[in-house]
Amino acid sequence: MRLSAAVAGYEAEIELRDSGASVSAKLDAKHYELDVRESGNGYVIVSEGKIFDCRIEGRPESGHPVMVTVGTQSYGITLTDPKCLRGAGGAATQADKAARIVAPMPGKVVRVLVELGDQVEAGAGIVVVEAMKMQNEMKSPMAGTVVTLNVSAGITVNAGDVLAVIE
Amino acid sequence: MFRKILIANRGEIAVRVIRACRDLGVSPVAVFSEADAGALHVRMADEAFCVGPAPSAHSYLNSAAIIDAAKQARAEAIHPGYGFLAERAAFARAVNEAGLVFIGPPPEAMEVMGSKTSARRAAIQARVPVVPGTTESLKSVDEELTVAASFGYPVMLKAAAGGGGKGMRQVAAETDLASAFETAQSEAVASFGLADIYLEKVVERPRHIEIQIFSDSHRNVVHLGERECSIQRRHQKVIEECPSPIDDPELRRRMGAAAIRIAEAVNYVGAGTVEFLFSDATGDFYFLEMNTRLQVEHPVTELVTGIDLVREQINVAAGARLSFTQEDIRWHGHAIECRVYAEDPENNFFPSPGRITFLRLPGGPGIRDDSGVANGDEVSIHYDPLLSKLTAWGRDREQAIDRLRRALDEYALSGIKTTLPFFREIVRDDEFIAGRLDTGFISRFNQRRERGRPARIEPEARTDRDIAMIAAALAYARAQHRSQDHKPLEQSKWKLSGRVAALNRASDRRAFRRGPR
Repeated sequence: MRLSAAVAGYEAEIELRDSGASVSAKLDAKHYELDVRESGNGYVIVSEGKIFDCRIEGRPESGHPVMVTVGTQSYGITLTDPKCLRGAGGAATQADKAARIVAPMPGKVVRVLVELGDQVEAGAGIVVVEAMKMQNEMKSPMAGTVVTLNVSAGITVNAGDVLAVIE
Repeated sequence: MFRKILIANRGEIAVRVIRACRDLGVSPVAVFSEADAGALHVRMADEAFCVGPAPSAHSYLNSAAIIDAAKQARAEAIHPGYGFLAERAAFARAVNEAGLVFIGPPPEAMEVMGSKTSARRAAIQARVPVVPGTTESLKSVDEELTVAASFGYPVMLKAAAGGGGKGMRQVAAETDLASAFETAQSEAVASFGLADIYLEKVVERPRHIEIQIFSDSHRNVVHLGERECSIQRRHQKVIEECPSPIDDPELRRRMGAAAIRIAEAVNYVGAGTVEFLFSDATGDFYFLEMNTRLQVEHPVTELVTGIDLVREQINVAAGARLSFTQEDIRWHGHAIECRVYAEDPENNFFPSPGRITFLRLPGGPGIRDDSGVANGDEVSIHYDPLLSKLTAWGRDREQAIDRLRRALDEYALSGIKTTLPFFREIVRDDEFIAGRLDTGFISRFNQRRERGRPARIEPEARTDRDIAMIAAALAYARAQHRSQDHKPLEQSKWKLSGRVAALNRASDRRAFRRGPR
């Protein structure tokens, strides 16, 4: 099987020949002959006599990052299967000059520091979100105008919710 | 001795108290919120009572429901742990009025020390030095500006009812004061229900050193030495050790004597901690506050003195004398604790709630783990993100660090972000290894990290990365393979259930054969 894999700042083509306990893998020009044992949530891989304890979080799907931990080091790896290229590539990032203030975690909005249409400076506080008893002030990364304000004090938000947009 | 104790807490500290109960042959009773019905502390208890919905204001802070549960269970005493109701005098009184024993100090002592302003007054009366600051709560931003100007910046705003870094803000310049005051006040209201804020001058590059004291109801008061807790983020401790890397017996004796004077001044009973700031530059120490409860970081003192503080708390609450005298206390070796939080150290220590999908705890010589979670548990947004405390003991500081480094590397946890990768770097940091600590350690450490980040990846790390990519690809390939194998089979339900029944019979036979020999 052929796949391409990307990890922070690095991409490689992988070719796998899987015969169960032994796997040969070609990663770009490098060749690995590996002994592989399935463990509870990943693999114990032996390469040239060295042991690599690999844990995989979640089920890898083409185009979606999966977290692989080797020993104490974690890697976010995105695989692309050339066989299912349709639907690949996320929504294009907006090229215009807008900043979305996004909730980094689930929590409760305790204060909204701006109103729709306000002019704000870079670094100005926009919304204060409380989670796990800590209040975190979401700041604007740029100077601009508050063009969208989706929250009010007291409401609960989820990670990834867009709280406000500065343009 | 008590037959049954109710533990009015959750997480790792509830588990810790349950363990002390087991040691003493006391039956532990747990309480839980609706979000915690399957939590580890509930599973480890003999009985458990639901005391309300997930938000702690309606459950773990619901004194009436907790006291009701204790009465229903016929418990004789309540251990509050730390946080939640541990330092609320009104709760201690309500427990006593219900005919139960509160495992902690008398409410009067909690009241004096519970307000930081009256605590400062008590310290001054006990001839213990304090940091220059206000002894009264501030009424307005204007008053604050005047006072801050008289001390000189930087200054620290603190909630009078505070603790755990909540309602606390350092202010570097006059222009930041008003917004910091507002944030501190609203955090104070959210966390403690009181808006009172006071102000202190900031001692530059201080160490945070605290003294563990213990007293019984027979007027015996002793100290168990210091803990150094200088490594803090957001004014909350993340690494603590005993003894301090300063390790000066004369300083320990002087600080211990000061802490004992404060405990005596408020007729203290039980375990308590007197916190000081220590300046390396001048050798002076200043009283900061007294925590009228068991501390999160108590294990380092336990490992070095060999004294079980929770067991002692329970014995003292039952009326016994302290099981040791000041002369009995010896400090043997060195212990260091890391607080494993569900937080992302790469993203400003933001909380990282979620499900723990894999957990393998370290062990071996000199390692102690105090966990409040198990594999598969959900870490909820409602509570403090402390998952566990990993503590290493060694004959000296060097060995303790060696063991801690080994245990941190062994500690495997997936599903959520934790502070583990951060600790793995700290125990390899030269400044930490040299013991050059102060409360600004983490921000300087982060700067060192930014500067020292390797531009090129080491060949060893490159192999790790390659193997990680191959492992991901292999998991994908095998999943594809399996789904192709199984997809088109439209099986007869009858055949399937027949096969399942046959399998069950086979496994029954195996279970029978595996029975006791």
